[in-house]
Amino acid sequence: MRLFLAMTGLAICALASSFLFREFNFGSSELKFIADFGFGGMTLFGSALAIIVTAQLFLGEIEHRTAMTLLAKPVFRSEFVLGKFLGVWVTVACFIGMLTLCLVLALWMRESSIRLEYPEGFEQGQRLVQYGGIIWFSLAQVFRIGILCALVILFSTYATSSLFAMVMGVLVWIVGQLQHIAIEARGVVDSLVLKGIYSAVGFALPNFHLYDVGEGLAMGEVLPISLVGKLLLYGALYSAFYLAVATASFNRREL
Amino acid sequence: MSVAISISGVSKDFRIPGSKRRLRAVDNLCLEIEKQTVFGLLGPNGSGKSTTIKMALGLIRPSQGNCQILGKSSLDPAARMGIGYLPEAPYFQRFLTGRELLTYFGKLSGVPKSELGGRVVRLLSRVGLEDAGDRRVGGYSKGMLQRIGLAQAMVGNPELLILDEPTAGVDPIGAADIASIIRELRDEGKTVLLCSHLLSQVETICDRAAIMVKGKLAIEGAVESLTAASESSSARIDGLTTDARKRLEAFAKEGQLKMSTHRRSLEELFLELSKGASD
Ligand SMILES: Nc1ncnc2c1ncn2[C@@H]1O[C@H](COP(=O)(O)OP(=O)(O)O)[C@@H](O)[C@H]1O
Ligand SMILES: [Mg+2]
Repeated sequence: MRLFLAMTGLAICALASSFLFREFNFGSSELKFIADFGFGGMTLFGSALAIIVTAQLFLGEIEHRTAMTLLAKPVFRSEFVLGKFLGVWVTVACFIGMLTLCLVLALWMRESSIRLEYPEGFEQGQRLVQYGGIIWFSLAQVFRIGILCALVILFSTYATSSLFAMVMGVLVWIVGQLQHIAIEARGVVDSLVLKGIYSAVGFALPNFHLYDVGEGLAMGEVLPISLVGKLLLYGALYSAFYLAVATASFNRREL
Repeated sequence: MSVAISISGVSKDFRIPGSKRRLRAVDNLCLEIEKQTVFGLLGPNGSGKSTTIKMALGLIRPSQGNCQILGKSSLDPAARMGIGYLPEAPYFQRFLTGRELLTYFGKLSGVPKSELGGRVVRLLSRVGLEDAGDRRVGGYSKGMLQRIGLAQAMVGNPELLILDEPTAGVDPIGAADIASIIRELRDEGKTVLLCSHLLSQVETICDRAAIMVKGKLAIEGAVESLTAASESSSARIDGLTTDARKRLEAFAKEGQLKMSTHRRSLEELFLELSKGASD
């Protein structure tokens, strides 16, 4: 809980610091700057929160042997895994929700004042920022981080220390973020073996880069709903897959 | 179906990190515990009592053999429906109060909401924590943790209770309280499997007992038969003066000294068995 507050505070500070750059006054590109800053903070801090909280929550129960009492009750191990996942996921969703609210407020205030100063930048006085798109974007981020939570749970089912689970979480996060480079490399590489490895990694790990779709939202670009739908489905499928593997692995774990 | 726990040919090996050898914590153990008895599982530290209990509960998998509880395989979560478990050195969610903890475990055990509130209050007073029910578990002493742990094991009104060293860290009065709770449970027709090293106490509350030494079952039977007269009875009188000794000998010669068989306590049997194993 304390961690949650600290993270929220940090993220809001990051967002607020983007106001420091106001003197530059980029006009409407300033809005893009705030949005990028907000989106970046949202996913970065959200992912960090997810990794830490998931590992702590899951391995904490095992390290403190509270899981033993719990699993001696008529509780399936799959229920334990799912319960932990939902717990972390709801926390992450609240976190992202709060940041989204702050971001929308910040953008709206700034946009209003820019519109007064430079009315010529706005067609017929309409707003530029796609506020609906931002909400959808945030929802997609919640699913992106959901995949990460499921992955960290999977690592936690066989890790003995939460540090290991966290390090693995950070690693897959980086790999998942850079995966599109590997996918692009696949086209260039000749060796069939390497191609195979790239596709295997590409299938086993999610491609987090897919979720970086917020770029144009502050400049009036529209986020297609069908894309959001695809991202949500992608997230749900990957999370379900990892949770299933995690349950199978946890079933074999000795407490 | 009168067998509550059946352990047949169970062994458990633990991997020793950094070496290829394995530690055999439980070795080919066979044990049947009948319903409506209080069964004491005894043995020195590290003899595999807790490991046996965890295998019976399905918390760890046996390397060989299988365990059944209440007629179902231990690995089936449905088998744990009628079981209450008190782990050794229990530790609970620190931020909950005693009352919240019991409510939480009650819900997990499937106690109907309408009954839960009343049952939690009754259990708190039964284990002597009525004043501490609204304090956080994180601030409980070791003995209080054992008491709340016992209450937690009883909250689902299970027919089988598995208690791993329930009196460790509890003051003598508390230990007597717990012993009387266990007797009440037996009178209610429940089965209790109890791990302990407080042998004199086990002797007074258990119907049957088994002693484990180094993972193996050393002896099993009704407590009365275990403590029955041993073959090699001996007596010893310290501090006799020579004069008194002579008179005693004369007394014995006249045939006036009667021998009565000496009932050995579980403690003596325990010491004998564990010594025999280490020689
Ligand atoms: N998870 C584990 N990993 C390795 N060794 C273990 C583990 N659990 C128990 N042991 C070993 O198994 C033996 C039996 O332990 P235990 O069942 O706890 O004994 P008891 O409860 O009778 O004191 C001990 O030597 C202990 O070190
Ligand atoms: Mg033990």
